[in-house]
Amino acid sequence: MTKRWKAVLLIVLGMSLLLALPFAVKSAYHLRLLNFVGINIILVLGLNFILGYAGLLSFAQVGFFLVGAYTGAILAVDFGFSFWLALPISAAVSGVFAWIIGIPTLRLRGHYFAFATFAFAEIVRLVALNWQEFTHGAVGITGIPSPSIGSFEISSDRSFYYFILATVVLGAAVAFRLERSSFGRALFAIKEGELAAESMGIETAKVKMTAFILSAIYAGVAGALYGPLNSVISPDVFSFDVSVVVLVSLLLGGAGTIVGAIVGSVLVTLLPEWLRVLQDYYMVVYGAGIVLLMIFLPTGLLGAARALAVRWTTKPADAAT
Amino acid sequence: MRLRPHPSTGSLMLQLVFSGVAIGCIYALIALGFVLIFNAVGAVNFAQGDLLVVGSYFGILGVVGLGWPLWATAILVLAGSGLVGFLFQAFAYYPLRDKPTINVVISCLGAGIFLRNGVQALAGPEPYTMAPFLETRLVTIFGVNIPSQSLAVIAITAMILAFQSWFFAFTTLGRMLRATANDKYAARLCGVPVRKMIALTFVVSTALAGLAGFMLVPIFLASPNMGSGLIVKAWIGVIVGGFGSLPGAVLGGILVGLIETFAAKLISSAYKDVITMILLMVVLCVRPQGLFKSPVSEKV
Repeated sequence: MTKRWKAVLLIVLGMSLLLALPFAVKSAYHLRLLNFVGINIILVLGLNFILGYAGLLSFAQVGFFLVGAYTGAILAVDFGFSFWLALPISAAVSGVFAWIIGIPTLRLRGHYFAFATFAFAEIVRLVALNWQEFTHGAVGITGIPSPSIGSFEISSDRSFYYFILATVVLGAAVAFRLERSSFGRALFAIKEGELAAESMGIETAKVKMTAFILSAIYAGVAGALYGPLNSVISPDVFSFDVSVVVLVSLLLGGAGTIVGAIVGSVLVTLLPEWLRVLQDYYMVVYGAGIVLLMIFLPTGLLGAARALAVRWTTKPADAAT
Repeated sequence: MRLRPHPSTGSLMLQLVFSGVAIGCIYALIALGFVLIFNAVGAVNFAQGDLLVVGSYFGILGVVGLGWPLWATAILVLAGSGLVGFLFQAFAYYPLRDKPTINVVISCLGAGIFLRNGVQALAGPEPYTMAPFLETRLVTIFGVNIPSQSLAVIAITAMILAFQSWFFAFTTLGRMLRATANDKYAARLCGVPVRKMIALTFVVSTALAGLAGFMLVPIFLASPNMGSGLIVKAWIGVIVGGFGSLPGAVLGGILVGLIETFAAKLISSAYKDVITMILLMVVLCVRPQGLFKSPVSEKV
């Protein structure tokens, strides 16, 4: 069996498992949780472009998530747009925000960029909290309608699961394709050394901007899905904690890898469920866990797995040389 | 509590200046600790706000819990925060010193979550407050009533700043700390114990944050989650003042305090944070080297 067929088989097997999953999950609560996992995956896949490939620390993801969610919700509730029209508009509006923010901030390096993105995320959250007439303030927007295909309404958690699954698969496929394009290689070159990349003829400013806009589009889509899924959005959902969750998800899985982004998102979203026993101490353990993760798994689970694989496949004689 | 029904514009301005500078002093102390660590190890300490919260709670423990006098509590705050700072660098920074910056940043974020929730688990989520440091609540200056705590904060900050400038300029230890921040390898060649100096930097920086946290309790309601809001202001001060510059951090912090206070009074209290954020964005875009720092060759 060739490598290619093995991969196809693996994907078919994985997909059938994922398709069957809602029937194995009993409670509606857990199904809802799976849907949140999916939304987190989309956010993290987006972050992977700017942080994983280009190596820029961005806290803007939650801001774009908010912009996407509010655009979708306001269009649907206040202007009666259909979901299918609101979804691409939300993604586009997030992308435009990234473009506007990116022009001045992508010139900045390292922690300056991180601060600027942080400020952006805070500004949009505070505006959403205070601009009563437009965003309904702290109460948020309620009664966000579910999307429908013809007469079929995607309102149950199960139907939403398949919808989100499809979006995640599409998002991962696009990311996979981009990773192996000249764009992906250019991003990787920038991460390794911006000056060197530029001297190789890579238009670094343009490539970084594209990555930033892509990350925003993913977050915009995630936001547009989150609104109808939860049927309510409010500013307090889009706090700094979300930034930490997506960052930790990506670094736990392994920055710069699609599989890592997915694995990390699943673990970080489900972790609070598994650690229920800790009750009030959960967050204490979570914080300590993040520190330990950075110390002992700096390249994430995928990086550690790769290092192990290399160690196993290398003969002791090779290692000695 | 306004004693005169219609204060003139001038006295209102003076009142705003005093409360703005006072809150700015708190930001300045956090910013100072932040810059000390940044200069020493090149890492942005995202947990500085949570280290401040630890200081606040040591203060609450001393004054409210144990009924200690202020001076004893101040020692408790300094010693306790210093110890936490030492442990912080030993566990959350030192093992990561050779790893990429992003790992250090996330580790600090994790340590911050740990501290904040640790405080909450021990002291409960309810906010605490305490009486101002001075007996009288209001002091009249030029016919204007100023909260005494504001004056206390300004005076204590001024003393700390004077002490730290003296310490860094004229003592051997201060010179060794500066040498470490300047060039670790050269410092090591000259016999400076770099490892110890870095640990000491964290201790000093956390003690400063802790003291800021202690002075804050009578002004703010102290709660385990107040750190993130405060550190944001301190960051803005650091960047506005010029990243890496100690006087810049102090001036920047005070400027942010003033702008915030005036914005809240004159424009809108709901949007005061947005206004300071916009200040940050504008400075980053127009003058990323900061307002008080001459342009340097290092590209930001």
